[in-house]
Formats: sequence, C-alpha cells, structure tokens
Amino acid sequence: MPIRLIAAYFLMITGSAFAIVTVLGLLRFPDVYTRIHAGAVVLTISAVLVTMGTAIYVWDFFLSAKIILIGIFFLFSNPMATHAIARASYKREIALPKEYEIDAYSDYLGRDV
Amino acid sequence: MEIPTETQPEVESLNKLMKKTLISVVLAGVAFALYQNFSLMPGYEGLNVGLSNYIIESGLKDTGSLNLITAVLYDYRAFDSLGESTVIFGAVSGIVLILSRKMLPVSSKGLSFIVKRTLGIMTPFIALFGLYVITHGHLTPGGGFQGGVILAAISIIFSIVYGSAFDYRRYSPQTKTALETGGALTFLGLGLAGIFMEGAFLHNLGFLTAETGTLISAGSIPYINIGVGFKVGAGLAIIFYSMIQKTFEEDF
Repeated sequence: MPIRLIAAYFLMITGSAFAIVTVLGLLRFPDVYTRIHAGAVVLTISAVLVTMGTAIYVWDFFLSAKIILIGIFFLFSNPMATHAIARASYKREIALPKEYEIDAYSDYLGRDV
Repeated sequence: MEIPTETQPEVESLNKLMKKTLISVVLAGVAFALYQNFSLMPGYEGLNVGLSNYIIESGLKDTGSLNLITAVLYDYRAFDSLGESTVIFGAVSGIVLILSRKMLPVSSKGLSFIVKRTLGIMTPFIALFGLYVITHGHLTPGGGFQGGVILAAISIIFSIVYGSAFDYRRYSPQTKTALETGGALTFLGLGLAGIFMEGAFLHNLGFLTAETGTLISAGSIPYINIGVGFKVGAGLAIIFYSMIQKTFEEDF
C-alpha cells in the first residue's frame, strides 16, 4: 500500500472519529450553546478532514481541486451558520443565558450589528 | 307584464337543453379525439424493448443533448414542460393574489456583521453555480428548474440576511415579474419558431445544432433552459416575497 493511500485513510478515519465525538456531544451536553459548540465540529473539522482525505485518495488535479473547494466552502459556511443560530438563540433568550455566572457576550451585543 | 313571466321558464329550459346538448357534443368530441390519440400509442412491450430503449439509443442523435433527461424534458416532451411552467405561473399568480396586500414588506436590519460579510463573499459563487446549472443543463445534471431554484435562493438569502429592503432596492417585484414573463415568452417564442422553421410546435431548431458536447449545441434546448430558469427563479422569489408580509421587528 503506497504512503499516499495510508495518509488518505488516516485523514478519513480521523474525520470519522470527530463525527463520533459530535454525536456524543449532541447527546450528552446539557443546553443549546454547548450543543451548538459540539455540532459545529462535524462540518468544520470532520467534513474538511474527509474532503482532504478524499482529495488525496483520488489524486487527480481537477478532481482534487474541486473536492478541496468544497472543503473551503464548508470552512466558510458552517462557522457562520453556527454563529447566526447561537446569536439568534441568545437574543431570543432560549435556554436562559442570564443563568450563567460569566456572560461575556452581553457586553459586546451593543457594538456589533 | 305577465307574458315574460310565463315565457321565461320555457326560454330557460330551452337554454338548459341547448347547454346540455352542446356539452355532450363537446365531451363526445374530446372522447373521440382522446380515443384516436391513445389508439396511436404503442402497446406495452416490457421494460427493455419499449420507448425508453429508443430514447436511450437515439436520444443523443436526435437532440444532440448529452443529458438524456434534459432531452426528454425539453425536446421529446417539451409541450409537457410548457404545461409545468404554466402551472408554476398559475401558482405564483394565485399566491400573489391571495397573500399580498402590499408588495413591499416592512424592512428589517438583518443578521449580524459576520453573516453579512461571509455571505457577501459567498453569494457571487452561488449565483455562478446557479447560472452554470442552467446553461449546462444539456451537458451535465441539472437544468432550468434546478438552477432557477438556486437563483431564487439568492433572493431569499438577501432578504433574510441583509434585510428585506436591500433586496427590494436591487431587484424590485416589477423586475422579477418582467424576468418571469420574459422567461415564459422565450419558451413560447422558441415554440412558435419551431412551427415556422421546422413544422411542429416546440420542434428542436436545426440550424442551432453544433458539435455534441460544446456549450452552444443541442438546438434550442439551452435557450429553453435559460428561459425556464429565469422564470422559475423569479416566480419562487415572488412567492417568497408574498409570504413575508410581516417581517421581524427585532434583529437577530
């Protein structure tokens, strides 16, 4: 087995491990914000690692470039969507952010629009 | 004064009789035409020897379209696709008529700065992808309906992320209505051109064919794709705008 395939399989298996971590977090964490934090993992790390592994696995210039572009799209879109969901649920006071001892985000809310 | 009250029921019954005979004559004519039409259809000969086999074998030679689904949708059954886009037009008209009391929704401030800036980077690529799906409908999977939905998603992104007044300033409902009507007119115009130049409604235009696999080939299929794409995109955007009568007062 060439070393290229070993690297590809290593990246894919690591991505799958992060996906399993995401499922564990979604099941075990207590409220909305920690679950969003866990759910963001599956696209920002897991899907990007799997796309990198696939790009190494096919090893053809145009195909790999397309797959890596998809990975870059994930890197752009998923943190933005997670941010939008978290901000909306904070402003709607889902899961009561006032109950936290440290609430640093309320200091910033007046400034970023 | 008494004569009309006596003769009116007779006239009404005569009118009803006339109506019934006319309706039965028309129904009999339609039934005869349908019987003639269905008697011409080939019988079912199994999955491997029927009409699908013919399309798989000679669809590329007949239409010049590499995507056989597009070949069926916009060449063999283009009349059916015209009916589908007419259904979309009827749905848009009905939803606008029922739901929209006023065309311009109340403005909102939109989402946060991070989302606005990220979508400012990503939206041109979404538009490029939508136009790619529309214009390459005869070469790769996709086509007018799918690409039109992607183009409509851009309008929805604008009104959710940047506030509804932003999209209204860029593409007003009048512009969208003009785009939708233009798409439908493109479709109908190509159909009429098929009558005049090839002898059948929506016949594939022969002088537009080129080498198979290039972007401008496959007769009139790419142009019908473009018309259907703009029609579907503008129609879905109009439906979305009619449904957000009361927008969000608070900003998320």
